[in-house]
Amino acid sequence: MPVKSAFFPRTSELCESMKWKEWAGYYAASSYLTLHDAEYFAFRNSAGLLDITPLFKYRVEGPDAASFLSRIMVKDISKLKVGKVTYCCWCTDQGKVVDDGTVMRRDENMFFVTSADPCYTWFSRFLRGYNVTLVDVSEKTAGVALQGPTSREIMKQVFDADLDNFRFFSTVKTRAGGFEAYISRTGYTGDLGYEIWVDNADALKLWDALMHEGKRYDIRPAGLDALDMTRVEAGLILKDVDYFNALHALIDDRMSSPYEISLGWTVNLDRDPFNGQAALRKESLEGSKWAIVGLDIDWAEIEAIYARYGLPPEIGSHAWRDSIPVYTDKSLRTQVGYATSGTWSPILKKNIAMATIRKEFDQMGSEVQIEITVEHVRHTATATVNKTQFFNPERKTSNPNATKS
Amino acid sequence: MNKRYDIIVIGGGHNGLTAAAFLAKKGKKVLVIEKRDQLGGTAAGEEFHRGYRTFGLFNDTSWVRRSVIDALKLEDHGLKTTKKRPETAILSKNGGGVLLSGDIDQCISEISKFSKADAEGYRDYRRFIDKISGLIVGIMNEVPPDFMNIGSGDIWQLLKKGWALKRLGKKTMMELLKVAPMSVADFLNERFETDFLKAGMAGPAVYSSFNGPWSSYTTLNLLLWECLAKENVVGGPHALITALEKAVMDKGVDIQTGIAVDHIILNEDRVVTGVQLTDGSEINANVVASSCTPSETFFNLFKPNEIEYSLEQGIRHYRSRGTTAKINLAMSKPLEFNLNTQKPMEFARTGNTFDEMEKAFDPAKYRKFSDEPLLDIAIPTVSNPDLAPEGHSVVSILIHFAPHHFDGGWTMEQKEKLKMNVFKTLRQYTKDFEEHIVGEEVLSPVDIEERYTLTNGHLLHGEHAVDQLITRPIPSCSQYRTPIRGLYLCGSGSHPGGGITCAPGALSAKTILREM
Amino acid sequence: MSTKYDAIIIGGGHNGLICAAYLAKAGRNVLVLEKRHVLGGAAVSEELHPGFKFSVASYVVSLFRPHIIRELNLAKHGYQIIPMDCSFLPLPNGDSLARWADPQRSRREISRFSQKDAETYPEFSRVMTHMGKLAKEVIDHPAPDITSLKIKELTSLLRLAKVFKGLGPDLLHLNTKLVTLSAVDFLDLWFESETLKAPMSVSGIIGTYQGVRSPGTAYVLLHHYMGQLDGAFRSWGFSKGGTGGVSLACAEAAKSFGAEIRTESAVQQVHIKNGKAVGVVLENGDELHAKQIISNLDPNRTYLKMIGEEHLDEDVLKEVKRFKLRGSSGKVNLALDRVPEFSCRPGDGDHIRGDIAIAPSIDYLEKAFDQAKYGEFSQRPYINAVIPSLTDPSVAPPGKHILSCFVQYAPYHIKEGAENWPKYREAFGDTVVDTMAEYIPGLKDMILYRQVLTPWDLEQQMGLTEGNIFQGELSLEQLLFQRPIAGYSKYKTSVRNLWMCGSGTHPGGGIMGASGELCAKTMLKSRSI
Repeated sequence: MPVKSAFFPRTSELCESMKWKEWAGYYAASSYLTLHDAEYFAFRNSAGLLDITPLFKYRVEGPDAASFLSRIMVKDISKLKVGKVTYCCWCTDQGKVVDDGTVMRRDENMFFVTSADPCYTWFSRFLRGYNVTLVDVSEKTAGVALQGPTSREIMKQVFDADLDNFRFFSTVKTRAGGFEAYISRTGYTGDLGYEIWVDNADALKLWDALMHEGKRYDIRPAGLDALDMTRVEAGLILKDVDYFNALHALIDDRMSSPYEISLGWTVNLDRDPFNGQAALRKESLEGSKWAIVGLDIDWAEIEAIYARYGLPPEIGSHAWRDSIPVYTDKSLRTQVGYATSGTWSPILKKNIAMATIRKEFDQMGSEVQIEITVEHVRHTATATVNKTQFFNPERKTSNPNATKS
Repeated sequence: MNKRYDIIVIGGGHNGLTAAAFLAKKGKKVLVIEKRDQLGGTAAGEEFHRGYRTFGLFNDTSWVRRSVIDALKLEDHGLKTTKKRPETAILSKNGGGVLLSGDIDQCISEISKFSKADAEGYRDYRRFIDKISGLIVGIMNEVPPDFMNIGSGDIWQLLKKGWALKRLGKKTMMELLKVAPMSVADFLNERFETDFLKAGMAGPAVYSSFNGPWSSYTTLNLLLWECLAKENVVGGPHALITALEKAVMDKGVDIQTGIAVDHIILNEDRVVTGVQLTDGSEINANVVASSCTPSETFFNLFKPNEIEYSLEQGIRHYRSRGTTAKINLAMSKPLEFNLNTQKPMEFARTGNTFDEMEKAFDPAKYRKFSDEPLLDIAIPTVSNPDLAPEGHSVVSILIHFAPHHFDGGWTMEQKEKLKMNVFKTLRQYTKDFEEHIVGEEVLSPVDIEERYTLTNGHLLHGEHAVDQLITRPIPSCSQYRTPIRGLYLCGSGSHPGGGITCAPGALSAKTILREM
Repeated sequence: MSTKYDAIIIGGGHNGLICAAYLAKAGRNVLVLEKRHVLGGAAVSEELHPGFKFSVASYVVSLFRPHIIRELNLAKHGYQIIPMDCSFLPLPNGDSLARWADPQRSRREISRFSQKDAETYPEFSRVMTHMGKLAKEVIDHPAPDITSLKIKELTSLLRLAKVFKGLGPDLLHLNTKLVTLSAVDFLDLWFESETLKAPMSVSGIIGTYQGVRSPGTAYVLLHHYMGQLDGAFRSWGFSKGGTGGVSLACAEAAKSFGAEIRTESAVQQVHIKNGKAVGVVLENGDELHAKQIISNLDPNRTYLKMIGEEHLDEDVLKEVKRFKLRGSSGKVNLALDRVPEFSCRPGDGDHIRGDIAIAPSIDYLEKAFDQAKYGEFSQRPYINAVIPSLTDPSVAPPGKHILSCFVQYAPYHIKEGAENWPKYREAFGDTVVDTMAEYIPGLKDMILYRQVLTPWDLEQQMGLTEGNIFQGELSLEQLLFQRPIAGYSKYKTSVRNLWMCGSGTHPGGGIMGASGELCAKTMLKSRSI
C-alpha cells in the first residue's frame, strides 16, 4: 500500500488521468492528463513540475563527512567544493554498482545525498572510525524538480537566490515567501532545470508558489511518463531498468561496474581506499565486458517493415523499458547485447534506445541490429551506435545573463 | 633508517612464539612484538597475590602438539611432559568421584565402582575414540584445504579426507556421522547411566562455548577434545612459554616487549610494508603475522577504509562470545575434594547432571551468569609447590558460564556475586575451604578481554563450531593468509583453533615459508 | 478370504495416499488401510462442533511439492491452496509488526523497529533464494548414501556437489552456517531487531524439541524462501476446507487411478514369513495379502509394532531405538462466535488472515523452551495462530470463526511421565487461551467450543509416537541418508517387501507429499512392484 507524498493534496487534484504508479512505496503520477505529450513538451518548451519526493534522501554531517563519503563513493568527494553538486555511483568491494545519485556539499561538513534505493543501511555499514552522523531525512523532506526552458524565470519569481549566476550543478540554501529551501541546478531531463528540497511542512507552499508564478511561463505538472522520455533523450540511466543494485541482483551476471553503465567518468581511482577500488583498478587496466551505448534506430527500415503489412509505423508514444535483444546481423543468431530502454523522441524525430552491448561492439557509428516485432513476427532494424546522450541543449548548462564569470 | 625484518610477529603468546621459532629455524630474520611486559599471552604466569602465582589463564595443556615439541626440540630447552593425560577428578555432589586419565584400565576400574555397565561403556567409548582419532588428529594437524578455490588442487586433499573417512570402516564411519551432530547429552546418554560421570565427561564439550549439553553439535567438540588431549606439560602453560622463549632466542629471534603495534603499514597497492609502533617508530617487513584475535587484527591494526566491507562483515560474523570467567585463590592449605582418595588432585570438574549443566548455561542466553556454574578446577601447586609459600596452595578455576555481554555490565558487585556463586557450588564438592583463603583474584570476561586483548574475553579467540573450524576464522582468511597481501594470521583464531596447542603458529609458519 | 494386492499401504495420511495414487497411476493394484474413520492422518479436517470444520493437527500447507499437484491432477480433485499474504506479530506493548507480500509495505513496517533491518531484508532474501536451490535439490530426490561407492550413489552425490560448487565459497560457507547454527545466530548475521528476528526465528523450531538458540535450527528458515523456487510467491497457505482437503484430494486422485481405500481398518501387524512381508493382519483378525507392504507410520511404530523386535537384527534394533521422536507441541482449536480482534491492531483486516505469531522476543521464545527442557509445558508459550475461516468461509458458519493455535512447548516427556498428560490437558488449554486473551480482549467470551490436543493425545489419536508431528526429530543425524536409519534410508526397511512412505523418511516433515511420492517412484524405478 503506497503512501502519499506531501504534495499529494495538489497532485491528486491535478491528476485528471487517474494514472498512478508506485515509486519507492509512494504514489506517483504517471501522467496528469490522459496523454502525456503535453507534459513532455512542458519539459522541453516551457516548464514541467515533477514530484521527486520518493527519492531517498540522506544528510551526512560531521568533521569526517567528506572523507566518509569519499570512502563510499567512487568519486573523491573531498574535492567537491561547498555549494557544488556531483553525480556519481557507489559500489561493492567487487566494484559493482549499488546505486547512483547526487551528492551536494551544502556546507564544509554537511552533505545531502539522494539515491534511488534505500541506502541508509549500506552507508551506515562504513561509519566505523568516522566522526560523522548519517541521518535519513527521506520521510521529512519533500522535493520537486522544475525542468524546462522557462524554469529559471519561474525560480527567479519565487526565490531570493541569484539565479542568473547560479551555475549548473550548484546548490544553495535560499528563501521564498515564508519558507526555506535548498535548490540545486540539477535534474533528470537533460534540460535547464532545478531541484528544490523543503521540509514536508512547507511542501504545499512551495508547490503553490511555483504553480502560481509559473502560470505566466506555461508551467505544468508533469508525471513519470514524460520524465522517462526526456531521460532517455538525455542518456540518463535508471536503476532496475538499465542496471541492477548489486546487493539485490540474484546472479553475478546482473551486476554492473560503473564502467559498464557509462559511469566510468565518475570514478577517481588514485586516492585513499574506497569501496571497490581494487576491483575497479583491475577493471580499468584489463577492460570491461560491457558498455551502455545509445542506439539510433533506422526509421526508414522501421517504416519499410510496417509497410510490408500495409501499416503506418506504429511506434508508441511511451518510452519502453523491456529488454530487447541486439544482434550483429539480421539472422538473430549472434546476440551482442540488449536494449534496456528506449523512446520515440518527438524533438529529434528519432527512435532511440539505450543498450548494454559487449564492449568490443561499442564503437560510435558502428551498426547493430535490434529486434522489432511487427504483426506478431520478429524482424530486425539497423541501429547506429551513438553516445547515450542524444539531446543536450546549450541552455542546460549556460548562464546567459551571468554577471560574474 | 628504519629497522628491517623478514617477518614481524605480532603477539608473543604460545602461537606467536611457535610461529617465530619455525620461521627463524629456516633462517628468516624475525621480530616478535609483545604488548605486555612479559611474553606468553594467555600462557604467561602471573603473581595474583603476593607470593602466589598461577601458570597461565588455561588449566589444560594436553592439546600441545607433540610434533611441535619435537620439531622445535623443546625438550632440549627444558620442557617436560606427563607423557599421558593426567588424572582429572570427575566430581559428584553425592561425594566421591571418578578419576579419569590416560590410563584406560585405571579409568575402567574407577568407573566400575559406580556402574559395571558404564565401565564397559567406557571401554567401548575409548575404542571408538581410538578409531576416529587418526582421522581427526590428521585434520587438526594440517593446513586446511582451500575453500576459496574448490576445484583447484585442494579437491584432491578433500577426496583424501573422504577416503580416510571411508577407511575407518563402514560401522565406525556411520557412527561418527551419526553422533557428530548430536548433543553431547544425547550422545553420552546412549552410552552411560551414571549422571555425574556423564556430566563431568561432557565438560570439555561446552567449555568456552555458547552451548549447554543439550545443544546439537556439542558431541563434535567432545570428540575433538578426546582425540587431541594427549599429554600435559609439567609446569603448565608457563613452562611451555619458558621453553619456547629459549627456543626462539636460540634461533636468533628479536623480541620487543612492553610496546604495542599501533597499526600495520600498507603501501598504495594495499601490500604490507611493516608496522608502526605506538611510540611512532616504524619497522619494515614484507610479512606480518598476527597472533591477535581476528577482530583485533583487522579492526584495530588497520584504518577503517583499508578493510574491505566483505572482510569486515566476515569478521563481524565470526562468533566470539566470551562465556568464561576465572577465579584464582591463594590458600593456606590444599583444597580437599570429597573424594575417597587421599591423593591430592591437580585437576577436577564439576557438573553432576546434564540438567544442572544446562541450567548453568541457561542464564548466559539472557546475559546473566550461572547461579551454580560449571567449574573447571586446577590446583597447580600439587605438582608445582613453588607457586605458593610452603604448604600453601593455589586454586585456579575457570567458571562457565559468565557472559561477556552482561546485563548492566561487569561491576565489582557482580564479580563478588559471581565469586559467591562459585563458592556455593564448590562447597558441595569439597571440604571447608573458605577460612583458608588468604588472597583471591576474580577475572570477569571483560577483565580477561582487557588483560589479554581477547575479543569479548573469548579464551579460544572465537568459538569452536562446525563453521568456525577448518574455514577458521572465515573462508577468505582460512589458510593463514588474508586478503591483504603480506598479512598472515597465526593465532588461535585460525585453524585448528584455540587452547594451548601451538598448532596455528606452526601451520601458519609453514604457509608463510611456502609463500615467501 | 484374502485378496491379493500389488501393495497394501498402512495408514491413510497424505503421504500414504500420494504413494497409493502414484502406484495406482502406474497400473498397480493398491489398497490403503486407515485406522480412523477419517482419512488424512495428521492432515485431517473434522467437524468437531456443528458447522466448524477444524484442521485438527496440521493447519497450514507449506512446501507441498507442486509437481505432485500436476502429476496427480490434484486440482481436479479439489486441491486448492489459498496463499497467506501476511505474517502478523502482535506485541504486548500495544505495538505490532505485519510483514506483507508487498516489499515496500514490509519495509515501512519493519522500519518502525529497525531501518537497517528493513533495508537488509532484500539482501537476506537474495542469499536465501540461492540456498533454497540447494534445499530443493535435496527434497526432490531420494537422499544419496554418502557411505556407498555404488556408481548410482556417486552420480547423485556428484549432482549435489555440482549445485554446491555453483554457490561459490561465500555461499558455501553460509550454507554450513545455515545447517549448523541456531536460528537466532543465523538471523543475527543480518538483523538487529528482536521484533523482526523473533517471529522469523520460530520457523526454525516448529515441531522440534529445540529452542530458537539451539544449534541446527537455522536451516528451516529456508522453507520460507523455497516457495519462490516452486513458482509461487508465498509457499504458505490454507487448504480449502481445512488441511483435510489436501488428503481428500489425494484420496480422490488415488481412487481415480483405481486404488482402493478402507477406513476403520486398523492393522495389527505386518505378516512376515521367511523374512519377507507377505500381508497384514487387521485388528479384527482378518488377513490381507499383497506383494509389497508400505507403512505410512512412523519408524518407531513401523519397526517395533508392525514388524516386531523378533524380526529385527541387533544393529537395526539398536538404530531404531535410538531414533528420536520427542514431541514438543500441542494444539488448541477454538470455535468462536465472532471475529477475534487484536487490541494492538483492531479489525478483521488482511493482517489476521495470514499467520499470527505470539513471539514477542527471542528471550520469550527461549524461556518457553527452557521450561520444556526440564519437563514442563511453557507457561508463556510460543503460539502460531491462524483464523482460516476468514479466508475460507466453508469451514465455519457465517460470522463465526475458527482460531487454531499451534503451541510450543508441550513436551511429550513431562516430569510426571507422558501418561499423566490428561491431568494437565485443561490447564494447558487455559494457558493458551489466557495467553491469546492478552492480545484478544474478550476472547474467553467468544469461545463456543474448545479442543485441546497434547502430545499424548496426538499419539493416542493420530498414532504419532511421542506426539512428534514430523514422525521423528528433524536433527541432522536423523536427516538425509540417516532418515530414519542409515542403510535403510531409501524407503526400504530391513524386512524384504516392506517399505516406508511417511514423514519419518527423507525428506520428512510438513505437508509436502515428498516422502510418499519418492517412495512410490523408488519402488517403481527399482521394479520392486
